[in-house]
Amino acid sequence: MIEVKELVKHYGDKKAVDGITFTVNDGEILGFLGPNGAGKSTTMNMLTGYISMTSGEIRIGGIDIIEDPIGAKRQIGYLPEQPPLYPEMTVSEYLCFVCELKGVKDIQAHMKEIAAKTGVTGVLSRRVGNLSKGYRQRVGFAAALAGDPKVLILDEPTVGMDPNQIIEIRELIRSLGKEHTVILSSHILSEISAVSDRVLIMDNGKIAAEDTPENLARSEKRDTVKRMLIRIDGESEQIEKVLDSFGDSFTYERINEDYELTLNADAAEDIGRKLFFAFAKAELPILMQKEEEVSLEDVFIELTQKEEKR
Amino acid sequence: MKAIFKRELRSYFTTMLGYIFLTMFLVLTGVLFYLNNIYFGVTSVKNFFSLLTSWAVFIIPILTMRLFAEDRKLKTDQLLMTAPVPVRSIVLGKFLAAGCVLAGALAVTLIYVIVISFFGTVNWAETISCYIGFLLLCGVVLAIGAFMSSLTDSQIVAAVSTYAILIVTVFLGNIAAALPDPFQSLLLWLSPTERFLDFAMGILDPSALVYYISLIALFVFLTMNVMERRRLS
Ligand SMILES: Nc1ncnc2c1ncn2[C@@H]1O[C@H](COP(=O)(O)OP(=O)(O)OP(=O)(O)O)[C@@H](O)[C@H]1O
Ligand SMILES: [Mg+2]
Repeated sequence: MIEVKELVKHYGDKKAVDGITFTVNDGEILGFLGPNGAGKSTTMNMLTGYISMTSGEIRIGGIDIIEDPIGAKRQIGYLPEQPPLYPEMTVSEYLCFVCELKGVKDIQAHMKEIAAKTGVTGVLSRRVGNLSKGYRQRVGFAAALAGDPKVLILDEPTVGMDPNQIIEIRELIRSLGKEHTVILSSHILSEISAVSDRVLIMDNGKIAAEDTPENLARSEKRDTVKRMLIRIDGESEQIEKVLDSFGDSFTYERINEDYELTLNADAAEDIGRKLFFAFAKAELPILMQKEEEVSLEDVFIELTQKEEKR
Repeated sequence: MKAIFKRELRSYFTTMLGYIFLTMFLVLTGVLFYLNNIYFGVTSVKNFFSLLTSWAVFIIPILTMRLFAEDRKLKTDQLLMTAPVPVRSIVLGKFLAAGCVLAGALAVTLIYVIVISFFGTVNWAETISCYIGFLLLCGVVLAIGAFMSSLTDSQIVAAVSTYAILIVTVFLGNIAAALPDPFQSLLLWLSPTERFLDFAMGILDPSALVYYISLIALFVFLTMNVMERRRLS
């Protein structure tokens, strides 16, 4: 549905997007993940034809965005980083305007439909400028749905919403993903992994990694160190003596009451059992012992910091 | 284009700007009408329009200052520029909305003509040519204002820069008078307000019509260009 080849965008000397290539299949939900300034919004602005690219190629549903911009735009619904709202209009006026702009036939009926989907039916007669941030975001979302476009491009769709709203919007995105091709961006990982079929981690205008959320977490698990958190009842001297006896199996660090162990990859096996017996022997009860799972968060930090060091 | 035109037209009357403009315009024309026609008992609208041209140009930027600058500030240009609508429709829609408010205001002044017709004979040729000329002159001012608005994201900057241009244009005739001949005729030829004097005489000079319409087209075209260019930044 979406093909992007060697996409580059320069702002003066600054390379905001630096040669990225990817495709999105029909009905797929792709997540853009990256720290501030990674180039997510810039990429989305190019996909939607808001800004032009320095070089590269974008095809939406087989239509080249340079050759037939109107044809390409007709297939896209866009929710930019800052929802493009007119504060002096009421929500229904605004949504009707967007519908008309996108050439919708039965404007009133369609407006009611998209308003219901995004849960703004209750505020249709309010002025956009008086809405709360979360509701403004929803109205922007509704506007993106106007005209029932095949492709939805959502730049940080849940920013400014409360947790309940976030869950609702996630549900909405997931259900939309059945019939639409969706690209969404965020710097919040749980956000992305909750809804995306595939994640594309961007950093410094480049693609740092690309995979399903599960695979990314798994692949990283293999070659990173594990961490373990333990809490022992006893004097710190005694505890540290026991810990020291493990030699270089791990390094440890005291965090308040607890100790965080960073395990060596080869020694990681069965360390929990060994720790238990060692402390039992020293007559120090283990109050808590917790293995920390590698989350997508770690993968993200790992990948984007690696990039920085280069 | 229709959607943009309608929204823009409506926004004039939800943001007060339309009312402010109409009030100022009607007060201005009312005062000028009283001073020129009622007070002296004159039936010709020639002087009324000659004076109006110098003054009206200063309230027209109220209509144009937010046209594009506001969209840029609110980021609603992201909605317009990513909608399946060509740039020329966006620019024309907005320009025509401003033109419509202006034409509406001008239509109200027809009341004055009707008042005159009750008390004397109206010189219809002169009146019609004055109206056509004035509308075209305002079209030029609107197009310049729209162009300045497309260059910035601040309404204030848009308005002030439009005023700067208008002040120079209005006084172009006076500046010309102080200059030696080749420059004098050139400036007089260039000045939109000097051109209007033809219309005030009741002459519908085709070259003046072409001149105004090409000026309007030029600035509308430049505005479209600015909008296209901005994507490249
Ligand atoms: N109009 C512009 N002029 C100059 N530089 C720009 C412009 N827009 C963006 N940039 C730069 O391009 C880079 C990428 O910006 P972009 O907005 O795409 O990042 P992002 O991934 O969306 O970040 P965020 O998570 O903060 O939204 C940044 O370094 C930014 O400073
Ligand atoms: Mg962004």
